[in-house]
Amino acid sequence: MTTLTIESVSKAFPGVQALDGVSLDLRPGEIHALMGENGAGKSTLIKIITGLYRPDGGRVLLDGKPAEFASPRAALAAGISAVHQERNLIPRFSVGENILLERLPTQSGLVDYDTINREARRYLDLLDRGIDTRVEVRTLSVAQMQIVEIAKALSLEAKILLMDEPTASITEHETAALFALLKRLRADGVAIVFVSHKLEEVFAIADRVTVLRDGKNAAIGEPMAAMTRDRLVSLMIGREERIAVLGERSADLATTVLEARDLSTSIGHREVSFALHRGEILGLYGLVGAGRSELAKAILGGAVVTGGELRVAGRPVRIRDMHEALTKYRIGYISEDRKAEGLILMHSVRKNIAITIWQKLADAIGLIGNGAETRAVEPFVRRLEIRTPTLGQVVGNLSGGNQQKVSIAKWLAANAEILIVDEPTVGIDIKTKTDIHELLGEISRAGVSILLISSDMPEMVAVADRILVMHGFRIVGEVANDHTYETASKAIMSRIHAVEDKEPAAAE
Amino acid sequence: MPFLKRLLLVEWSGLAAAIVIGAVVLAFLSPNFLTEFNIYVMLRSFCVALLVGFAQMVTLGVGQMNISVGALGGLVAISFGGMMEVLGFPIILAVPLAIAIGALGGLINGLLTERTGINGFIITLATASAFTGINLGITESIPFYDMPPALVAFGENRFLAFPYLLIAPVIVAALLGLFFARTVPGRQLLAVGGNPQAADLSGISRGRVIVLAHVLSGALAAVAAVLAVAQLGSAQPTIGADWLLLSFAAPIIGGAALTGGYISVLGTTFAVILIALIENGMVLAKVDPYWVQFLLGALILAAVWLNRWRAVRTGTG
Repeated sequence: MTTLTIESVSKAFPGVQALDGVSLDLRPGEIHALMGENGAGKSTLIKIITGLYRPDGGRVLLDGKPAEFASPRAALAAGISAVHQERNLIPRFSVGENILLERLPTQSGLVDYDTINREARRYLDLLDRGIDTRVEVRTLSVAQMQIVEIAKALSLEAKILLMDEPTASITEHETAALFALLKRLRADGVAIVFVSHKLEEVFAIADRVTVLRDGKNAAIGEPMAAMTRDRLVSLMIGREERIAVLGERSADLATTVLEARDLSTSIGHREVSFALHRGEILGLYGLVGAGRSELAKAILGGAVVTGGELRVAGRPVRIRDMHEALTKYRIGYISEDRKAEGLILMHSVRKNIAITIWQKLADAIGLIGNGAETRAVEPFVRRLEIRTPTLGQVVGNLSGGNQQKVSIAKWLAANAEILIVDEPTVGIDIKTKTDIHELLGEISRAGVSILLISSDMPEMVAVADRILVMHGFRIVGEVANDHTYETASKAIMSRIHAVEDKEPAAAE
Repeated sequence: MPFLKRLLLVEWSGLAAAIVIGAVVLAFLSPNFLTEFNIYVMLRSFCVALLVGFAQMVTLGVGQMNISVGALGGLVAISFGGMMEVLGFPIILAVPLAIAIGALGGLINGLLTERTGINGFIITLATASAFTGINLGITESIPFYDMPPALVAFGENRFLAFPYLLIAPVIVAALLGLFFARTVPGRQLLAVGGNPQAADLSGISRGRVIVLAHVLSGALAAVAAVLAVAQLGSAQPTIGADWLLLSFAAPIIGGAALTGGYISVLGTTFAVILIALIENGMVLAKVDPYWVQFLLGALILAAVWLNRWRAVRTGTG
């Protein structure tokens, strides 16, 4: 039986203190919930335990002995396996191969597919009998892939099992099967860390709970038996640190700037309808895999429209790409992955903002002067209070919040009238988060219409004027936001649960 | 799944069709095409080309590139020739040593890539220049002409239309097919290419696998070089100089994913057959052979476009 102890572990990334002196103790035969809002540091902690990140400070102890794993391989060898939040399957490999990936059975030197299928079947059957072990993973639905990930973690028969939001994209039926299984493992003495956003799940299954808030412990291993729902929520959100609701709002509901009518796409959206009004912040909420970010990409020409239509300023349009979206329809887009898609990290603040207006800045013979760029960019840097030593500073050196401001600035510079903003405050500290929210409020008051995509419930409740709920690539409801966390979040989740109950295999 | 869609998913389906159509058209256009000697000539040029394609295919599989295939091939070729002419080594010793030199070159590529974390493209671009430098430094551009008669005979002789040379690529293709389909290192290699992070999280040692791919690539380039020496009957320092484009063309036309994680031994083989067919067709039609280069470029573009189209159509892109 193995005991895992985390002692005041810290971890910083450029611009963000992800973990700040976090502790946790995990005993054999318990299910330990790890809770916190997005960006609270849960996933970072999981990645430190599994050897993916090295902590800057603090210790990880296994049975009282220091155990800092240099790699996931080392953690696996010590009996720690994990289901990570990111998808970690090889699309072209079969289900069975993915489950047994790092220890493929062989017979006289050759991979033995009969054994693979038999072994994988054993673990898969614990959760779902409907998945064929021989098909390629890329042909599965999102929910099925998640099941495969879980089966893979189970197959390692680890002493310590870490599950980062394992239920985010699976159906209630599968969740029930998973819970029954986790209880069996608990009885066998396995120590389980269970990360979930869903309070119901945590109350249903966890023995103790550790809560993280902004990278610090808000609670360490408190027994669930003595925990109330309200107290858990306030531990997670922090009563005094609730996200401020935006001030005065002034959307012009008579003017529709962007509208989808029964829009269906080649990547799976079905009959999506919504109307974004001038100066409005329209929220689009959904769990992982609901199709939110994909909808943004589809609107911007990333997918083929197979039914219905998209209208900008009342006229039906077909947007081919981002270039056309900006130049013809004045739509800007801020990606959820600002490091990979949003910004050119190795380029300067000046170049990153001016990138959208280079064409305009070029002189008669097609040259862009530093002076012209600076003059165009400076007002936005001042207005958005982007903290950078000089305009020539490389964007990668700025904090996450300032990077995000740069990506907003580039669309303002380009005079975008519609802004699609995907997860604008992921990995940004609470103070800067509020700044970004106020900034979005301010530009929407100036007449910019914003489609705000977010899986951060408190953010959604605080910032959006109306909230669309997306699930399984459909809009399943609209919530008139009263800016009160308890009622609005309940209203949103009830829309999602209503669909899940109706069609338990929605994702297939 | 409807039949047509399933067929579309098979990467080499278009290639097989192109080969059949091409052969039929050539047979009609030229009476010389179906002669035993012409087929022998075609198959002979096919042998080295296929191994060159395989050498690049394994690095593409792991998500890397090996720009030094040709340079390493050249170095191996003159080492092989030098060992036999200058040092008097017997063929039976010179062949494994030549392959070992190729593997060593690959090991250097792999270790440099893995240890420094620098992109393999740049590393192998640099080592390519270094390998060529050693090659020219040793030979001063003068070939080794005095090859053992047995080797020259092996490079020239044939059974009906089949050159003896063909034995090597057939064996290598079978072994590679088995390696990727059925061995753990083979599967690990494709896993790392398919999703490096996932492979890492599964406890596969990414670094070791990348090194392995480069070693394999070097060894395959070496086999290609040995065959080229046998085929030419002399160890030319210029062997390998024109391999680079071909090395990418064959696996890519054969359906390999440029991002890594997917390769096809059969597809690559068909691609090389198609290229040999085109070259042969142009010779028979008395077209300037320099235009082959142009066609190869056009073919790569078409193949990449076809793969993309297929991915979109079948919803796997």
